[in-house]
Amino acid sequence: MSISNPIRGALLSWSTQALVATVCLTVTAGAWGQGAPIKLATIAPEGSSWMVQMRAGAQEIKARTEGRVAIKFYGGGVMGNDKKVLRKIRIGQLQGGAFTSTALAERYPALNLYGIPMLFHSLAEVDYVRERLDGRLQAGLRDAGYESFGFAEGGFAYLMANTPVRELEDIRGRKIWVPEGDTVSFMAMETLGLSPVVLPLTDVMTGLQTGLLDIVATSPVGALVLQWHTKVQYVTDLPVSYLFAFLAIEQRAFNRLRPEDQAAVRDVLTAVYEQIDAEARRDNESAEEALKSAGISYVAPAAARVEDWRAQLNGVRARLAAEGAVDAELLVEMLGHLEAFRGQQASTAGIVPAGP
Amino acid sequence: MRVPARAEITVMLGRRWLLPVLGLPLLLSGCAALVVNSATDTLSAAILDQTDPQLVAEGAPAYLLLLDGMIQTSPDSAALLGTGAQLFAVYGALFSADSQRAVQYATKARDYGDRAICLEHRPACRWRALDFDSFLIALEDVGPRQIDSLFAYGVGWLAYLQATSADWKAVADLPKVQAVLDRLVTLDDGYRDGAVHVYLGQINSLRPPALGGRPDVAEGHFQRAIELSGGRDLGAKVQYAKSYARLVYDRELHDRLLTEVLEAPAQEPGLTLFNVLAQQEAKVLLEAADEYF
Repeated sequence: MSISNPIRGALLSWSTQALVATVCLTVTAGAWGQGAPIKLATIAPEGSSWMVQMRAGAQEIKARTEGRVAIKFYGGGVMGNDKKVLRKIRIGQLQGGAFTSTALAERYPALNLYGIPMLFHSLAEVDYVRERLDGRLQAGLRDAGYESFGFAEGGFAYLMANTPVRELEDIRGRKIWVPEGDTVSFMAMETLGLSPVVLPLTDVMTGLQTGLLDIVATSPVGALVLQWHTKVQYVTDLPVSYLFAFLAIEQRAFNRLRPEDQAAVRDVLTAVYEQIDAEARRDNESAEEALKSAGISYVAPAAARVEDWRAQLNGVRARLAAEGAVDAELLVEMLGHLEAFRGQQASTAGIVPAGP
Repeated sequence: MRVPARAEITVMLGRRWLLPVLGLPLLLSGCAALVVNSATDTLSAAILDQTDPQLVAEGAPAYLLLLDGMIQTSPDSAALLGTGAQLFAVYGALFSADSQRAVQYATKARDYGDRAICLEHRPACRWRALDFDSFLIALEDVGPRQIDSLFAYGVGWLAYLQATSADWKAVADLPKVQAVLDRLVTLDDGYRDGAVHVYLGQINSLRPPALGGRPDVAEGHFQRAIELSGGRDLGAKVQYAKSYARLVYDRELHDRLLTEVLEAPAQEPGLTLFNVLAQQEAKVLLEAADEYF
């Protein structure tokens, strides 16, 4: 799915979490064993391309493991929001799910890295960085207790509004949406001196209809699926953040599979995710065309002001690292990759690179 | 032409989740209603009362050609254009050999629907240029006298969205088509024995609540469609099971509806062909239920 995730992470206190975890370990041992289906939750509805491909993948896994590994899907968010899904994973009712980055960021903060506002200038930069860091993030997720199979692009989120937004002044004093639980975006807005309105994704359409919200941010695909395109007229042609999603299966469940079955699951799901990742990019390109056909105008931001925004947001990165919202070491590494890429690009073009 | 199996139709009909909404049964109900007000009532009725879909698949093209000829002779007949829109929509969704031909049929269905409403309601000739809010306001001006053409317009457009569902422009247009259908039930809640309610049930089941969908609204539409058809439209029950019960993972409802469909008589004036197809689909859905739920 290529929508930004609104769901706040778990709010349980540390002691409560520890207690729950202890109880869950016991329950899980009885609740799920080898041979039982792996139950996965997702917000993607039946019939969506994600679901179609995942079901095909599940069939292939079943065949390759001679029926030892069966995967059951609970689509359309029927298992509840991310918080509920994570709770159900803890008590063994589910073994995993498809998540957007913020859902598991509390467990593994490095997942917030790619979504830092105005970090990437282009998809070419995304590709360069992801090629170098995706594997690290997957390894980190494994250490955090989840097996994942690659990341699927959600695309860039863009500002969408009923009046053109070309510079920061066009946002100031207006009601801009921040997804519930998206601490990174919230901190960025605060830094820019804006007054974000925190709402769950499900309330955004009503917010746009009633005037509770003036400005939202999502990908072109997200705007069409959520039908926000019927309530906005302008898109600011400047990527504000990068969205991605992934499938995660709890390590304890995954590790109980035979080694050869683990390999089959990994092979098939990795291939499925590579395909979803590639298709997502084409989907967003096509969705952008559809938005334009529907009469929505793409407006260019004032170039000089963009550099101002970026300069102001540089401060957010340090704050994010200091507060533990992202992994400081990986942040430095990622910025290094970006700098290297921009340097390469600049030397090719014969210009002096700007800082990341 | 070979009649495709249900599962094949599902694959043919789209790659995105527009698919379950705009799929076959949606258009079936619409077709069931095309007998009314058509200049070609007898032929339509003969098609709709068939128990053999294969015969219809092979025989209907001659009828389509005949209808095309009649429209060429009488290009200002909104009634003929309306019948053309519906028949090309249905035939394309049910029996197209490939996606390219499905698009051709659907393009014709949409064109006929556009022309029908444009003839009966002049402001509609400029609807394509309107943004969403302006379109909603414009629909308010359509009255009960234009309802048949509005229906043809909606069905033609739905068929087009279905056939082009791999294109995001189809997703972008969906709210407008839904607005057309909403207007139809506002004008006449019982129009065509509840056919429009089946479409609305399917469209409202497309998205789960987490993505802004309204399954509760969908359920109301399906129940109303079944009530209005007196339970005779088995396609309405199959869609209720397929679109709604599966979306909310209500297996009890799913299996009950499909069992009712299989136990009901298929023969029903104006509905037989679609009831036969509905029973075929019900069987497939029931057999796959263990895997789904």
